[in-house]
Amino acid sequence: MSRRVAQIVCAIFGIAMFLLFFSPHPTARAITLSITTEYWQLIYASALIVGTISFLRVNLKNIQRGNDTIYRVVSIIGLLAMPVCAIIWGINVGSPFMWTFENIQVPMQSTVFALLAFFVASASFRGFRARSLPAAVLLLSAVLILMSRSWAEGEIANALISTADWVRSYPSMAARRAILIGIGLGSLTTSLRVIIGIERTWLGGGR
Amino acid sequence: MKLEPRHYTFLGLLVVVFGSMLLGIRPEVSISEETRRMHAYIDSLPEGSTLIYSFDHESSSLPEIRPAALALLRHSFSKGHRIVGLALLAEGTGIGYRLMDMVAHEQNKQYGSDWVYLGFKPQYIAAILSMGESLQKTFPQDYLGHPYDSLALLSGIINYSQVNAVVSIGDGNMAVHWIEYGQSRFGVTITSAMTAAMVTTYDPYISSGQLHALIGGLRGAAEYETLSGQSGGGLRGMLAQASAHVYVLLLILAGNVIYFIARRRGA
Repeated sequence: MSRRVAQIVCAIFGIAMFLLFFSPHPTARAITLSITTEYWQLIYASALIVGTISFLRVNLKNIQRGNDTIYRVVSIIGLLAMPVCAIIWGINVGSPFMWTFENIQVPMQSTVFALLAFFVASASFRGFRARSLPAAVLLLSAVLILMSRSWAEGEIANALISTADWVRSYPSMAARRAILIGIGLGSLTTSLRVIIGIERTWLGGGR
Repeated sequence: MKLEPRHYTFLGLLVVVFGSMLLGIRPEVSISEETRRMHAYIDSLPEGSTLIYSFDHESSSLPEIRPAALALLRHSFSKGHRIVGLALLAEGTGIGYRLMDMVAHEQNKQYGSDWVYLGFKPQYIAAILSMGESLQKTFPQDYLGHPYDSLALLSGIINYSQVNAVVSIGDGNMAVHWIEYGQSRFGVTITSAMTAAMVTTYDPYISSGQLHALIGGLRGAAEYETLSGQSGGGLRGMLAQASAHVYVLLLILAGNVIYFIARRRGA
């Protein structure tokens, strides 16, 4: 019974949202606006609360078991410190929240991102092999694109850039378009299947 | 600690990047068609045009995003355009404000009349759709807490109809959402500055005209700086990036040579 009710609610709201999205009628626009400005935000905030509670529970449980205690304590302190700073002193420029963000979070994240370069360097030596014809073609294309994004001048550089542009404009573009159209059709089909009630895996599997 | 082969690879990269940065050479950059198109678009807008700058990125991509954002902001302000800043990812909020504030100070632009910063709105699809209906209802007050109505720049700006273009400064596929919900539904012109890794993802959108123009990565920033006569982080970083690319290419070459020699011996 509860599954049937969930399906009916999903179908009603699915069709309503579809109609509201494409309708230029002022009432439809007003409803869409209230849904997007208010209700979606509420859902987002609720999801954030669920995520935070889940994060705390998982980490506290692991602390009790003695798994990576230091890292988990630091994570929890970080999780709590930022909202506490924001609530007490606000998030304006010069506030402790913004200081922490600019001087701890930004450098740390930039450092982690920069570390990728080292892994790419290691992988390029160990992993990028022309083991077969398709692998060789892929490798050649990657090298061409990489070189076209580097600094180089003169006739050779121009030829490289033209070749890389050709790769991006034809073979790569054709593949990307096919993938994008496939994703679009797949999303549309799945949405229709959910609204009509053919697709029921979101209810927890089974028929 | 015993050094493994991969540690030597890491050390090599460190030496190459530091070495090239110490050289301090300013490379000449050839301009790509994409960047030329972006520059021409900002140039072609009449003075007083309104642009939305959306900082749709996280702090991890700042080294690549910052030079592009600064180059675009400097050019836009110098052309007399009015800029409305906002962020659809939380981490872009503070970064976006800092960058806009810095460039506005450089060019003596007044907050409230030449630029405003609306801050962050969660749930990006909802925010993009909502701004298409009403910018004021989406952001009742700006980042600094001023009511929407009290800011001169925003008077008369109801939705995208009064905005010339959106510039999405992004590191992921946020510009896709701007295209799908902002451009397709409300017809606003979308442009973007993005990390180099994302550029090829947007080729179909550029080809179809749904994405009007883009600049890609550090090279794009360097090209834009060259076109607009600026000296910034794009040009400074190009030598380090190019030498790292060459290093990676040499490693690929070496890895393949070793692989084929080993395979021949094995056979």
